[in-house]
Amino acid sequence: MAIEAMGKPTTTLVYQYFLNDAHSTASSRGIPNLRVIPEPIISECTVKEEIEAGVSGVFDQIVANLTRPLTAEERAPKAKEAEKLSRISFKGNLAEVNRFFYQRGWTDGLPVIPPTEEAVAEMVAASGLPADHVVAKIDPRRGKATVEQIAINAVMAGALPSYMPVLIAGVKVFTANPASATMTVSTGSWSPFWVINGPVRKDLNLNSSYGTLNPGDVANAAIGRAMSLILKNIGGIRKGIEDMGVFGNPGRYSMVAAENEEESPWEPLHVEADLKKEDSAITLSFPHAFQQLNSYATDDMGILATIVSNIYPGRFGLLGIILTPPVAGALGSRGWTKKKIKDYIVEHAKAPLDHTVRYYNAPDRDKLDPGEMVSLFPPGRPAEINIYVFGGYGAWEGLLSGGSGSTAKIELPPNWDKTVARYRNVVPSYVRY
Amino acid sequence: MAEQYEVLSPWAVADPIPLRGLAERVPSLAGKKVGLFQDVKRAAKPILTVVERKLKERYPDIQTSWYAPQSMSASELDPKNIGKFQDWAKGVDAVVAAVGD
Repeated sequence: MAIEAMGKPTTTLVYQYFLNDAHSTASSRGIPNLRVIPEPIISECTVKEEIEAGVSGVFDQIVANLTRPLTAEERAPKAKEAEKLSRISFKGNLAEVNRFFYQRGWTDGLPVIPPTEEAVAEMVAASGLPADHVVAKIDPRRGKATVEQIAINAVMAGALPSYMPVLIAGVKVFTANPASATMTVSTGSWSPFWVINGPVRKDLNLNSSYGTLNPGDVANAAIGRAMSLILKNIGGIRKGIEDMGVFGNPGRYSMVAAENEEESPWEPLHVEADLKKEDSAITLSFPHAFQQLNSYATDDMGILATIVSNIYPGRFGLLGIILTPPVAGALGSRGWTKKKIKDYIVEHAKAPLDHTVRYYNAPDRDKLDPGEMVSLFPPGRPAEINIYVFGGYGAWEGLLSGGSGSTAKIELPPNWDKTVARYRNVVPSYVRY
Repeated sequence: MAEQYEVLSPWAVADPIPLRGLAERVPSLAGKKVGLFQDVKRAAKPILTVVERKLKERYPDIQTSWYAPQSMSASELDPKNIGKFQDWAKGVDAVVAAVGD
């Protein structure tokens, strides 16, 4: 699109199932009539014959798209009638509101809380910011994430008003991370994974212990759900249209953890990102798979062997490691720092060359030794490994395939203590049976 | 009668974007320099390799010039990339881009 803007004619080949995605992207960049050619070559195809056939089938169109004179509409596109958005979208009972929102494509498929004026106003008030304050614009639609718009989606998700500062920081860290726009629409179905650090964890009763990633804690559940609705309804990221994730990912409902800083032997995640320990922070990364491993043994070498033996070669270089407090303690008490652990993993995580993508894409494959043991981390690039400490008191490690982590400080409003006091006691009470 | 809710719209406003027309096409590709913009996905390169060969078969005097983005996470319009990108685009008459996806 930038090339067209520079006065050069272009045509773009996209996989046929990505046509909607291409049109949404082109329209949101102001070039709605971009000449895009749908072709039948499967994403990431490596089969020469299929590529040859796919290009042959559209070659005349490639030439035509670069030479056929422009139509009047292509030369000077007429603006579509402005989207008529009324602030009040609907009036009805609970079932009717839910049906209306679902049919508009505004939900995650589960019932939502109706975002009434009153509920949204309470949410906005807890943010300490004006309702019309624009936090960011979210790609690909460039929708305006005002405080009120964030609040509406937060109400729908079942969030408590005290979560607003976290959601605002979530929008900031998402839009500041250059990988976000790709990760949330990729065929790889990467899921935003939100890790919360600092005093806000306790203020909001975020779980960092048994079943951290399970349903059942409103903060862990609703913060991730609200962020997913925000990305959908403000960013315009909708599955099968802009988001071309092939399998999808259950983490898209919500994937939120608090770090157990008190029982970690190391500096918390946000301190690694140069924030102060007393700050609150949110860290975003994009795993697409979550593997749970029982420690081979509970000493340091048994734990590290469990990790390096189970990093699968298909996604080298991107990795998150979750350690429970006792597992982290077993490493910390034996002198392992986060850096030493990362260095050890990079040095020891290896696989035969023909178990890696590098072998199959090498132009000189027949000259390579397929059995050569090679590092799973790409040479010449710093390994991107995040280490998180949370979970119950078991001998387990979690491996997350995926990374691109970035951290933002959570700014707390001046009346924060009052807000916390109002909602702090919203916790489940389980009867003994 | 069940309680009635008057609800706000979660669908955000997006500022209208100034629309831009397409660049004028070239009358023919004969004798032209065609840019091949290879996006980051691995199928982009082999797709454009076939495109390049077919262009040269049809237009023997055509020239081509390849461009590959620096990384998946950084736009070519970022200040650190834009100079190289603009220089390349200025030097071609038309561009075929392959996403590989």
